[in-house]
Amino acid sequence: MSSRRDFLSTAWAAAGAGAAVAGVAALGRALSGAPRGERTVELTADLLKRAEAEGGLIHEGLLVRGPAASPVVIDLTCTHLRCRVAPVEGGGFSCPCHASRYDAEGRPVSGPAPRPLARPRLVPSGSGFTARLS
Amino acid sequence: MILGRLTFGLLAVAVLSGLALAPFWSAARPLESLEALNGATPWGFFLRAVHALSSWGFLAGTLAHLVEVLARRSERKLPPGVWWRSVLLLPVAVLALLGGFLMRGDAEAQAALAVAREIAATVPILGRGLGALLLGGPGGDLAAVALHHAGTFTLLAWLLTAEHGRALAPDLRSTVLAALGSFAAAGVVPVALGPAVAPDGALLLGPWYLLGLQGMLLHLPAAAGWLLPLSLLLALGATRHLEGRARSALLAFAAAWAAAFLAFTLRLLLAAR
Repeated sequence: MSSRRDFLSTAWAAAGAGAAVAGVAALGRALSGAPRGERTVELTADLLKRAEAEGGLIHEGLLVRGPAASPVVIDLTCTHLRCRVAPVEGGGFSCPCHASRYDAEGRPVSGPAPRPLARPRLVPSGSGFTARLS
Repeated sequence: MILGRLTFGLLAVAVLSGLALAPFWSAARPLESLEALNGATPWGFFLRAVHALSSWGFLAGTLAHLVEVLARRSERKLPPGVWWRSVLLLPVAVLALLGGFLMRGDAEAQAALAVAREIAATVPILGRGLGALLLGGPGGDLAAVALHHAGTFTLLAWLLTAEHGRALAPDLRSTVLAALGSFAAAGVVPVALGPAVAPDGALLLGPWYLLGLQGMLLHLPAAAGWLLPLSLLLALGATRHLEGRARSALLAFAAAWAAAFLAFTLRLLLAAR
C-alpha cells in the first residue's frame, strides 16, 4: 500500500515531467522564431469606399479613413502594452489599460505610450489594398 | 493553523464549483456563454459567484497564512524545499485566478490578455513561446487559458497546498465552513461581467489582485510585470535561510513591496472613478 509521501513523490515527478515537456515545447517555439503577431488585413474596394463615405471605419483593429484611392490606415494597438485603443470624442485615441492618449494622427500626447500608433504598409491588391502589420 | 486549513477548504470549494461551471463555458464564445449562464441558467449567477469568491478567498487566505507564518517565524519548521514550494503557491494561485479572469472574455479580460502576452514576451529566450504556451496564440480562442486554469495551475495549487499542509485533502469541517462562507458571500457580493467593448475613454481595470501591478506598469517597462513579483518571491523564499538583520531586511523589503502595491492599487482605483 502506497503512503501519502509516495503519492506526493509520484505527483511531483508527474508535474515535473509535464513542466519539462512544456518547457521544451516553449523553448522550441521560441528558438524557431515564431512570428510576433505578423498579420495582413485585406482592405477591399467596397470597404474603402464605405470608409470614405462614413468618414472612417474600424476593420479588424485598423482605423481606415480618407479617400479610397489613397486611404490612411492606423493600427489601433497601443504601443505601450498592445491593448486596443479606442477613438474618443473630439478626435484622438485613448488606451483603456494604462490611459495613454494619442492625438488624431496617432501621436502620443500623454501616458506611457512610447511611440505613435503604427501605420501598416499598404500594398495594392486587386482594386483595394493589403495592409501589412509587423 | 486554522487559517491554512480553511484556505485548503476554499480551494476545494473553488475546484468543485469550477467543475460544475465547466459544461456551461465555451472557449469560442466565452462572454456569451457566461452571459447565458448568468441570465438563463437557474442558479448560474450564484454558482459563478461561489466559484469566484471561493477562489478569491483561497488567494486571500494564502496571503494571510503566509504573513502568519512569517510573523511566527514558523517557516523554519519546514524543510527548505517545502518552504520554497510553499512560496511558489502564491504565483501559482495568482496565475490560476488570472486564467479565470481571462476566461470571462469581456473587454477587461481581452485587455488583460494583451498585457499578459506582452509581459510574457519580455521573459528572455522563452518569452514568446511561454506566452503562446500559457495564453494561446494571438487571434486564437481561450482553450489554452482554460486548460491551465482548470488543469495545470489548479493541480499545482492543490499539490503545493497538500504538501505544505501534510494532508491530501482538506478536512471536512474546514471544507463545510469554506462552503458556507462562500455561499453567504455569493448571496451579497455581485460578480458581474464587463462590457464586450470598452466604453470610449474609460479605464479598464484588471483583476483586483493585480491592480497594483497595473498601476506600476503606468511608469515601468513591461518586464517589471514579472521582475517585480519575482523579486518578492525570492525575498520571501530566502527568509528561510537567513536570521537576524538579514531576515529583517528581507521582510522590510517585502513589506515595502506590499505597501507600494497597495498604493498603486488605490491610485488606479481613484483614477478610474
